[in-house]
Amino acid sequence: MTALKNLINKSGEMIAGRGGPLGVNYSRDRAVLWLFLAPAIIFMLFANVYPLGYALVMSFFQYNRLIPGAVPVFNGFQNYIALIRDPQIIDSFVRTILFVAATVVVEFLIGTAIALLITTTIKGMQIIRGFFLIPLMMPFVVAGTLWRTMYNALYGPINYFISWFGVPRLEWLGNPDLALPAVMITEVWQQTPIVIFILAAGIQALPVDIYQSAMVDGAGRLQILRKITLPLLKPVFFVALLLRIMDAFRIFDTIYVMTYGGPGKSTEVLSLFIYKEGLKYFKIGRASALSVMFLAVVLIATIGFLRNIQKQQL
Amino acid sequence: MKQGAQKIIVYLMILIIIAVVVFPFYWLITTSIKFEGDMQTFPPIFFPARTTFQHYIDVFVKSGIGKNLRNSLVVAVSTTFLSVLFGSLAAYSIAKSYLARKFRTGFLVAVLVIRIFPPVVTTMPYFLIITRLGLYDTLISMIITYVAYCLPFVIWLMLGFFQEMPHEIEKASIVDGCSVWQRFYRISLPLTLPGLATTSVFCFILGWNEFLYASVLTSQNAKTLPVVIASYISDQRIQWGPMTATGVLLVIPVLIFAIAAQKYLVRGLTFGAVKG
Repeated sequence: MTALKNLINKSGEMIAGRGGPLGVNYSRDRAVLWLFLAPAIIFMLFANVYPLGYALVMSFFQYNRLIPGAVPVFNGFQNYIALIRDPQIIDSFVRTILFVAATVVVEFLIGTAIALLITTTIKGMQIIRGFFLIPLMMPFVVAGTLWRTMYNALYGPINYFISWFGVPRLEWLGNPDLALPAVMITEVWQQTPIVIFILAAGIQALPVDIYQSAMVDGAGRLQILRKITLPLLKPVFFVALLLRIMDAFRIFDTIYVMTYGGPGKSTEVLSLFIYKEGLKYFKIGRASALSVMFLAVVLIATIGFLRNIQKQQL
Repeated sequence: MKQGAQKIIVYLMILIIIAVVVFPFYWLITTSIKFEGDMQTFPPIFFPARTTFQHYIDVFVKSGIGKNLRNSLVVAVSTTFLSVLFGSLAAYSIAKSYLARKFRTGFLVAVLVIRIFPPVVTTMPYFLIITRLGLYDTLISMIITYVAYCLPFVIWLMLGFFQEMPHEIEKASIVDGCSVWQRFYRISLPLTLPGLATTSVFCFILGWNEFLYASVLTSQNAKTLPVVIASYISDQRIQWGPMTATGVLLVIPVLIFAIAAQKYLVRGLTFGAVKG
């Protein structure tokens, strides 16, 4: 985001236009720069754009790869129509959005509090940061399996900890009502540090003199927080929110190893649904249509933020 | 006095938070060195009185994860090399203003959209395309998909680093008659070395941790460590010992890298949005 801003602000300042302020002819340089770009562009066309296009095209075909000798048959928007009418898909959409919204909100509540807390103590920031890197760096598969052992109903430490507070043993991952919150807790544990990092960096970049004058004017701590810190942090909040929303939609590995969408369908978010339709049942057309819809949802959810960030920085 | 009490409370809260953050990691490590009999008990054993490295020996001797470890390394290192190479070249030519601004903005937005889409969307197309090409269960197919996954990160990160370089250096080198390649290779790259290192570490971690593509595109030969970990889970039971031992092996190198590069890592994690 900042990179985009820099690009727009500084491009005029740099050696601009044809001929350029230094009076050198840049046409040959320009050709070399195209060569610099070529490998990345060619690669992305093959490895990113082509598979996406493949999914888009396939979404208009009926094709079940498990049926021997089956060939793709064009069926227009039938896949999409069937999907919209399928209550399971609607459930999965709702579940995904619930997952994203709930985890992101909780991450921001906890993250903001912790960011404010750790920025008040300058000493030991480096060490604290090191600790917060642990969940963040842990592969999702490891985090998922690890939490699965911790949620274990008979021997898991989590049931032991809650027994201190008199809560009886819970079947965390075996109970359809608890499984989704349990997965959310894992996600919050793993991803809140990124919110903390972004917000803490934002807080530390705030100008000190505003605080000094506010204190001279006799503003209380809460007042400073509400009237100065949080409003000034708004752009940083936006960036963090964008990042978290777009990555929360990606959740796959954690749920795959923790519950595989179960029990029943209680944790089957869209990414898992697409995975099962496409790579377990090999309903290629249906899975493709679902992928396209998923992509549309993610883009809609993030594009508003993208625009906003761009507007603020232009 | 009041100040002192406040300080103590703040530190106490931080301590509790750190305990919550670190406990799962502690549980991972202690479980991996517990004897089978000490693992599944209630209350759980938090401070094992006796320890063993048997699970680590088992995963190498019985499960033969040496090969998977090698696969993981080859894939992560190749991915890092290729994506940093392609990505930093592209980022350099976008960072300078020779090409039309509209094109550069369009390119960056396209890269951002590629970054936004969830990997599951391309997984099935990859599977179909790669099996048709006869590349199923090969390291090559993994590396191709991983580079595609990493490139957007590299381009955005390196773009930021190149843009931060003082423009005077570039101008001076133009006056001195350096060609574009010389300016890139001799001047810009050495000056952005910390950035290059961070980007590489970041790519390595992305490739090393990746699970979805690996689980779909491999079966035996090219299987990487994250897939092995998932395979210790079956409907009946989870093999806690081997699973946690493999988990530790997977986490430790990443943690060492991450802590070494932590100053710039936040930048990578936030896609260049936070300079931190």
